[in-house]
Amino acid sequence: MDNKIDLKELGYTDEELFSHIDHSNAESEKITAPRYSYWRSVFRVFFRNKVNIIVLTLLVLVIVFAYVYPSVIGYDATVDPYINLMNSQSKHLNPSKAMELFGRSIHWILGTGGSGQSTWDAMWYGSRISISLAFICAAINMTIGVLLGAVWGFSKRVDAIMMEVYNIIGNVPLILIISVMAMLFSPTFWTMVLAMTVIGWIGIAFFIRTQVVIIRDREYNLASKCLGTSTIKIAMKNILPFMTSVIVTLLATEIPSYISYEVFLSYIGMGMSEMSLGRLIYQSETAMVTPGWEIEFWSPVVIASIITVVLYVVGQNLGDASDPRTHME
Amino acid sequence: MGKYVLKRLLHGAVSVIIVVIVVMVLIYSLMNRNLIFAQDPNYTHQSNNNRITYTYQKWEDYGYLDYVTYADYINQLQRSGEIDSATRDTVVSLGRKAENDSEETAEYVQRFTEYYESQGYTVQRLDVVMSGRRVANGGQQQLFAYRDIPVFKRALSYFVNLLFIDDIHYVSDDVDIGERGVTFTWFDPVYGGEKFSPAIIGNGTYHKYLLYCDSSFPYIHQNVASIRLGLSYSVNMGVDVFDTMSLSQGTYSYADITYPSGHMENSADDLHSATYMQGSRATSALLQDRFADDYTNVASVRSGHSKLGYSFIIGIISVIMAYVLGLPVGLAMALRKDKLLDKLGTIYIMFIIAVPSLAYIFMFKAVGGKVFGLPTLFDMDSAEKMMYILPIVSLALPSIANLMKWMRRYMIDQMNSDYVKFARAGGLSEGEIFTKHIWKNALIPIVHGIPGSVIFAMTGAIITERVYVVPGAGNLLTQAINKYDNGVIVGVTLFYAVLSVVSLILGDLLMATVDPRISFSTKER
Repeated sequence: MDNKIDLKELGYTDEELFSHIDHSNAESEKITAPRYSYWRSVFRVFFRNKVNIIVLTLLVLVIVFAYVYPSVIGYDATVDPYINLMNSQSKHLNPSKAMELFGRSIHWILGTGGSGQSTWDAMWYGSRISISLAFICAAINMTIGVLLGAVWGFSKRVDAIMMEVYNIIGNVPLILIISVMAMLFSPTFWTMVLAMTVIGWIGIAFFIRTQVVIIRDREYNLASKCLGTSTIKIAMKNILPFMTSVIVTLLATEIPSYISYEVFLSYIGMGMSEMSLGRLIYQSETAMVTPGWEIEFWSPVVIASIITVVLYVVGQNLGDASDPRTHME
Repeated sequence: MGKYVLKRLLHGAVSVIIVVIVVMVLIYSLMNRNLIFAQDPNYTHQSNNNRITYTYQKWEDYGYLDYVTYADYINQLQRSGEIDSATRDTVVSLGRKAENDSEETAEYVQRFTEYYESQGYTVQRLDVVMSGRRVANGGQQQLFAYRDIPVFKRALSYFVNLLFIDDIHYVSDDVDIGERGVTFTWFDPVYGGEKFSPAIIGNGTYHKYLLYCDSSFPYIHQNVASIRLGLSYSVNMGVDVFDTMSLSQGTYSYADITYPSGHMENSADDLHSATYMQGSRATSALLQDRFADDYTNVASVRSGHSKLGYSFIIGIISVIMAYVLGLPVGLAMALRKDKLLDKLGTIYIMFIIAVPSLAYIFMFKAVGGKVFGLPTLFDMDSAEKMMYILPIVSLALPSIANLMKWMRRYMIDQMNSDYVKFARAGGLSEGEIFTKHIWKNALIPIVHGIPGSVIFAMTGAIITERVYVVPGAGNLLTQAINKYDNGVIVGVTLFYAVLSVVSLILGDLLMATVDPRISFSTKER
């Protein structure tokens, strides 16, 4: 035949040419797609941004300092804040004076407070309490809020009841709940956790409910339903992946907000009895207006701000990275 | 529409009532009732039995229980004609101990005990407390009965008494006060009876002036109906919560006034506020000199604004600032997405969200005071306008961040929506798309929040007012909680709950006016 081309003459190698492959039933069932691991992609996207690495390092540093440093120096909250109470020369010293008095050591790099205690040590111990409070409250509220919010969004009957509950509880001032708790029980760490979680979950649940309602009736979910997928499978496979980034983003605003709230409550005199950051700020408020003493006030304020900002940035960017739409190259 | 609003209002009212009942149950049944005396100097000055009776009296005043003393009971018997005054005088004096009672007294004590125990009261007798051979200070013997008022009954009476309407039978009918009635005059006697100023004066009512005019906003004032949110105990003793929030504060402002008796004096008394106080004239020569009747209880004219007033001035200016600055900046950020302005704005928003509000308010205070030399403390008596700046800025900056955030979000959502792409494909210019479509749609959710931010400008901001020592309403709730003033807690909660319900409804209505697609009149479309 004239129009027959000899493939060999075109100079293609064998690999570039079609070759015959036998039909295989097992192979024809496979769908070929690039290998994709969700969480690996999340971290790939997250660490691609250099800012995130810096901020995450800072976060790890702060957490390590807050949890390890007080243990290493053996900080005892019942003894250490009052260790220099009787020494009238030790009070409200700036760093250089404190080092002059007590010798060079890490304890005095921020000077001393109103009862001669080390501002630096108190700051880290306070950070530990504040961070613990924030994480515990966030864990409780998020668990209850997300689970309940999902049910709330899915069931129309629950929705009708919960909306009423939400409208009512939403009007009770939160400081009222907290202060009544503080008056009923002694204002300890766990009372504070109870007070912050007793109605704290409802805002989260409402937020999740709204998100669930938005995607519940999307076409792909209706299609799934028509194809006979069970509700649980729809919830787990269709809706949960969509919600992951929403939940992480929410967590990013929740955790710092508990620290801020604790600081606020302590400042208005309704905080817990433990020496948290809020209480440190409350106690050193007078120092702020006294020239030369400002460092006592600003150190807990600054560390609280650093903790909240770092947590917020990490959370937000992790939330962005956990949105599968950002995983495409 | 009207039907919808009515339904929403009723719904709101129910939720407000439930909130108040929840709060009442929390503080009246769970909280230790002895705590209300924590800040009361009178309590610490009482001793022995007097202190006990004082606590019961106060608990009765503040609605915890019904309390009757033996003397009240005997006086009541005398008034109803059951016993004559000679018997009264003998039986009213209790023995130092129960076994020391005279025979007649013992009989009436027995009757008192039986009567009140059958009514569900607890009768308590306190024997005399001696110090050496004399009765100790406040140690006189006491006999009284008390009965707890259940929280729900209490809540009911609270709501019933919420609105007080004055009438001419307010003063007890036993008291002779001349002819009861309401008179109208064109010439208010407060101004000497010559100046033209219409007023309605009541006799037998609680307020003397039911309607009057003066030179302060809103020029015509009424005292017929007043809101009573409950009595304050330690924050502002004996004064209603609503008055605590709405009466002016500060130093007295004196003026030459003519009292009803014709006496003239340079005084801060506000004669228009006169209320009835039974028998007050008979006991005080000072009052006899000035007043012609028992309407002697007057408030003072003060130079400052009320708590709500200060909060509102600061709040409303900061709200206006927030909308005027926040919306355009948010808009500009959306239009220049991922450019420098957007990045700076995002950092600012992040700063406000993440940093504790206390920290940045103190930062504004430090920067404002040191760098700009602005006054950092609020002084009610100074006419200085500069002291308003820092509180206003501290309140406005976070709301600016919030508005920027949402404005940017809504704008970007609208800009990416399909109808905008279609409009662009259809050949509309960018300007047209912006003014006719994006801008209007993005503003709808923003509009929803406007009534709320205006109304809540009134309630003040807790931290800001505390940091700058503003005498506003924001501190009232925390102050009440710190001082265990339960009346104020309930009153303020009710006030907040009503405001939040009203602002939500107003927000929805405003949104429906702005966006013709939203309609509340038809149920399903």
